[in-house]
Amino acid sequence: MSEIHFKIDGMDRVAQPGDTILKAAEAAGIKIPTLCYNQKISRTTSCFVCVVKDMKTGKFLPSCSACPSEGQEIDASSEEVKQMRRTALGLLLSEHSGDCEAPCTMACPAHASVEEYVRAGKQGDFLKALKIIKQRIPLPMSIGRVCPRFCERDCRRNIDSKPVSINDFKRLAADLHYDSYMEELPPLNGKKVAIVGAGPAGFSAAYYLRLEGVQADIYEKMPEAGGMLRYGIPEFRLPKATLRKELAHFEKMDVTIQYGKELGKDITIADLSKKYDGVILAVGSWSPSSMRVEGEEFAEQGIRWLENIAAHNWKDLPNLGKTLVVGGGNTAMDCARTAIRLGGDVTIVYRRTRKEMPAQAIEVDEAVEEGAKLELLTAPIAVKKLENGKLALTCCKMQLGEPDASGRRKPEPVPGSEFDLEADTIIAAIGQRTICPTEATATKRGDISVNADDLKVDGFENVFAAGDCVSGPATVVEAVAAGRKAALSAVDFFAGRKHIEPPVFNVSRGHWSSLSTDDLVYLHEVSKADRVEPEFIPMEQRKTTFTELFPTIPADKIMKEGERCIECSCTAKGECKLKKHSETLGVKPDMFKGERSCGKADTRHPAIIRDPRKCLRCGICVKICGEVVNKHLLAAMQRGFGTRIGTAFGSVLPLACTDCGKCIEECPVGALDWKTKE
Amino acid sequence: MAQIKRIKVGMASCGLAAGAQAVFDELKKIAGDIPVVGVGCIGHCYCEPIVEVETDSEPVFYSRVQGTADTAQKILALSEDGRFEIPALRKKNEMVFVTKLAGRIVPCDIEEYKANDGFSALAKCTVMKPAEVIEELKKSGLRGRGGAGFPTGMKWSFLAAKQNPEKVMICNADEGDPGAFMDRSMMESVPYQVLEGMLIGAYATGATKIFIYCRAEYPMAIEHLTIAIAEIKKAGYDMLPGREKPLDIVIKEGAGAFVCGEETAMIASLEGKRGQPRFRPPFPTDSGWNGLPTSINNVETFANIAPVLNYGAENYAKIGTPKSTGTKIFALAGDLKNPGLAEVPMGVTLAEIVYEIGGAKPGTVKAVQTGGPSGGCIPADKFDVKVDYDSLKELGAIMGSGGLIVIGNDRCMVETARYFLSFTHKESCGKCTFCRVGTKRMYETLQRITEGNGTEEDIAFLEDIGPKIRMGALCGLGQTAPNPALSTLRYFRNEYEAHVKEKVCPSLACSALVDLKLNPENCIKCGLCRRTCPVGAIDENFVIDNAKCIKCNSCKELCPKKTIQRVPRGEGFNSNNK
Repeated sequence: MSEIHFKIDGMDRVAQPGDTILKAAEAAGIKIPTLCYNQKISRTTSCFVCVVKDMKTGKFLPSCSACPSEGQEIDASSEEVKQMRRTALGLLLSEHSGDCEAPCTMACPAHASVEEYVRAGKQGDFLKALKIIKQRIPLPMSIGRVCPRFCERDCRRNIDSKPVSINDFKRLAADLHYDSYMEELPPLNGKKVAIVGAGPAGFSAAYYLRLEGVQADIYEKMPEAGGMLRYGIPEFRLPKATLRKELAHFEKMDVTIQYGKELGKDITIADLSKKYDGVILAVGSWSPSSMRVEGEEFAEQGIRWLENIAAHNWKDLPNLGKTLVVGGGNTAMDCARTAIRLGGDVTIVYRRTRKEMPAQAIEVDEAVEEGAKLELLTAPIAVKKLENGKLALTCCKMQLGEPDASGRRKPEPVPGSEFDLEADTIIAAIGQRTICPTEATATKRGDISVNADDLKVDGFENVFAAGDCVSGPATVVEAVAAGRKAALSAVDFFAGRKHIEPPVFNVSRGHWSSLSTDDLVYLHEVSKADRVEPEFIPMEQRKTTFTELFPTIPADKIMKEGERCIECSCTAKGECKLKKHSETLGVKPDMFKGERSCGKADTRHPAIIRDPRKCLRCGICVKICGEVVNKHLLAAMQRGFGTRIGTAFGSVLPLACTDCGKCIEECPVGALDWKTKE
Repeated sequence: MAQIKRIKVGMASCGLAAGAQAVFDELKKIAGDIPVVGVGCIGHCYCEPIVEVETDSEPVFYSRVQGTADTAQKILALSEDGRFEIPALRKKNEMVFVTKLAGRIVPCDIEEYKANDGFSALAKCTVMKPAEVIEELKKSGLRGRGGAGFPTGMKWSFLAAKQNPEKVMICNADEGDPGAFMDRSMMESVPYQVLEGMLIGAYATGATKIFIYCRAEYPMAIEHLTIAIAEIKKAGYDMLPGREKPLDIVIKEGAGAFVCGEETAMIASLEGKRGQPRFRPPFPTDSGWNGLPTSINNVETFANIAPVLNYGAENYAKIGTPKSTGTKIFALAGDLKNPGLAEVPMGVTLAEIVYEIGGAKPGTVKAVQTGGPSGGCIPADKFDVKVDYDSLKELGAIMGSGGLIVIGNDRCMVETARYFLSFTHKESCGKCTFCRVGTKRMYETLQRITEGNGTEEDIAFLEDIGPKIRMGALCGLGQTAPNPALSTLRYFRNEYEAHVKEKVCPSLACSALVDLKLNPENCIKCGLCRRTCPVGAIDENFVIDNAKCIKCNSCKELCPKKTIQRVPRGEGFNSNNK
């Protein structure tokens, strides 16, 4: 037979008889995505992700199976063809059910590979755990202590128990190996970046810049580094010796810090942006919000008060006497608990109920344990200085009305309910705001205005910003994530491209609150033990000293805790072709909605899992077993949407199966897989 | 009185279902020497059981015959009572050509078939060269009756051109469209005629093996074909001229998968594999059953072969329209007076089929669905279309196998589409994405709309995904599955919009959007409705509580004063909305 002349994407090509369009396209350097195509077996023609268009007939053809014909003109790359491929992928995704990533990893603002470091910890390899953690969290000692644990809130163990104590893996791994672990650093590439602010966002930016070969100089207005970690978070939650140890590591990463340099006074963005290849602003949110009541000047300002005490290293402190802390956030709790340790008789005044407090529940609980009293549904109206030298906070009782913009019920004053609370000290801790540098543009809320994609500061070419000064007061882990993004944006900028955050593509079985244990897939037996709890120092010591609340949980207990992890993520993580093509073509998992594939994962086999809910019904496994292994142990059964791949009489795997794993190797998703994960 | 020679009772499946066995038994008891025989179906299924009395002059027909001794007596007396005449309008429009012998001869009696010109076409052919036979067929213009309408002569010529010593011919008897039953009727009524077509086919194409892939739900067809094959072998008709071995004829019973009507799925099934289509090419003619050149033709096509050749190709080509020659058997079902089979020349109008042959009253019909679940619906205002392969396609429907379902004014078109999609999405083989998941998503969307939970995005979704499934699905099942939804959207978009925008079913058919209401003015408080209600939804004051009512219509149908109506949701009483 003779050669076939045809066109693909306008190119004249020659194909041999028997060649498929897919093969001919590859020869022409055109990449066509495939799922059900597999060279080892006869064609399956099932997924239709590889469609191309015959421009003369207008028909769509599966390129894995169709052969070019003489004079044919093939469109393999147009938007119309891509849209058909997207539709095929979208349909497959609409029946596909699983978890690309574990919910903990998805919940982490820094997108740390939680399941992986918990597994390393379970295996006792805390150095490996630390390596995994530091891929996304360069301050694991601090975050291991102060993180509000977004990951644990979404942990599937919440269904039947308490979440895995994830953050304690981080803390232990860092405590054990922080000193000894050193990143592999590429040689410096000559680019230099100035970072303003030695807080979590600034250090994170410096860290990821250095990993890309860029050296950073940090400018800090305070005499010591750490930002909110140093001056905001009290000693008992994060000992400063620990913090210093953590930050000392950055010297080994060629990071320099110049202290006493305040933006707008000692340095300017304009100068830095000229002197350096790039600038990253990470100045934080340090301006206390006003209570907007008469006599406010008699009250301490929460964050300033904490900063002041921190600057004195929690020594030589006044006795506070009867203390009122106004506010319900984490800063208010830190103020209250610091005041208790300074001998204060503390009452927290908050205008809504405990449920609405923005502080983490555990922080409130611990404050109450330590003796803080709560005066809820109480709003301040005025502060007065009494003749006896004491202060009086005039308050008003509140009741909850309709939900407001934040979704919380709005407190409304109860008419005629005004009353006075007498105190020696009043601390107003109702929030902070960013002080936007005068050279930058401020958002409505007062933060630095940036481009959301690459964090580039409006009006500048090479200036980026990250952390609280962009987002408003947030958590350390969010600041660290933002610092990384700013660093990568700067690196991309140096390379002459705009930074684009890789899309987070994730299929999920759903939030734990919508699931039961029956919906979960267990690769192995999960420990039924209770969550590991830290051993707090004695209460008397807690109330009177700034000693850290509890020591790091030891390795044996953390390893046991690791056995409580379900390991929710997909066994085919990193190898899933459905995910890969969906990301490439920009298909979202919820493109189409409807019933998902049913069936239950078969975990009876000791080493192999079959999950019909992930299966694409491409039939590769059936043909591999039949045509390659020559055993015919798998087959498609039933019809329509309920079609599934099964074994004779529903056995685990038939006796004739030698666990050769050839079918597993070829499964384009994680429907057939080894149970072991790495 | 005329002399009775023989009594024939229509005993195809339709006749038996209507009680023909009792009629046969009663006649047999008193007929004495007069032979009483069972025959097939003459197509007038609406008036089964039918008895034909052969006399020395004109035959006398009786319809809706009771299986009683009394009725049997009357028939033997050639009573004027209960006589059956073919309705005049039907007679005017129909053309009995392929079905000429159906219901008129004893199906399995080879001698009777022979006496009616049986095997004369085969005899003519076997003195011709195979290529000449194919040439005749090409001249006749006969197109495949299974649905796609591919010219039969051309199809056969492809197989004939193959030089393999072994070739296969398959008779597709896996008639699966809901509402289509012409193939069953032909196999039950004239098995020899169907088989003669195959023998001619084997001779013309050089096929050495014939499969009849018949659905197992057709036991009588299988029985008749089995007997007929044995008789043919006994008579030696399977030993074609120039062959060393007799023709191998095998009946394969299908296990109930609709998709096995698709040729590549059928071949897979015949090979002992899961009935799943595969991508073409290679076409079966190049690589079919076990890799051998294979040609697949429908039952009705085979049934046409002998009559066409006997009638003469050129004469046949004059019947029908230039591009769609000959006749077509339609299976009429749905909201019409005379359901059954009707053979008409191509080119009659839908109006003639629906109103004149089917007896539907003009004004009561909203649309017809042609071609079964793969077809489309055609609204009543387009009934002047002359029916052939191409005209129906232009209207967004297909000829298909010839199923024709009449949809009355009180039916909801969204519900109709939902019904057909419920069939196709379940019958998808599950192999390709567009069909397995796409039709499921369409079905779910239609379900949502009929339940009153649809949105305008749902309509947009159907219009977006439907054409993509058409273009993207692997085989005909998936490619045509969106048709019922797309064609109803094309002609009855207003009904879809009423469901999603106003949450109203204009036909008051979708139960989720309907209340039942009793008009107390005419109520005589007889209590029939209360007694029949299965859920106790009607209280002592004869108020229907729609919170309980399951819209079964039992009360509505029983009410002697017709006081109960279906009304738009919200117009009836509902204890949940107090």
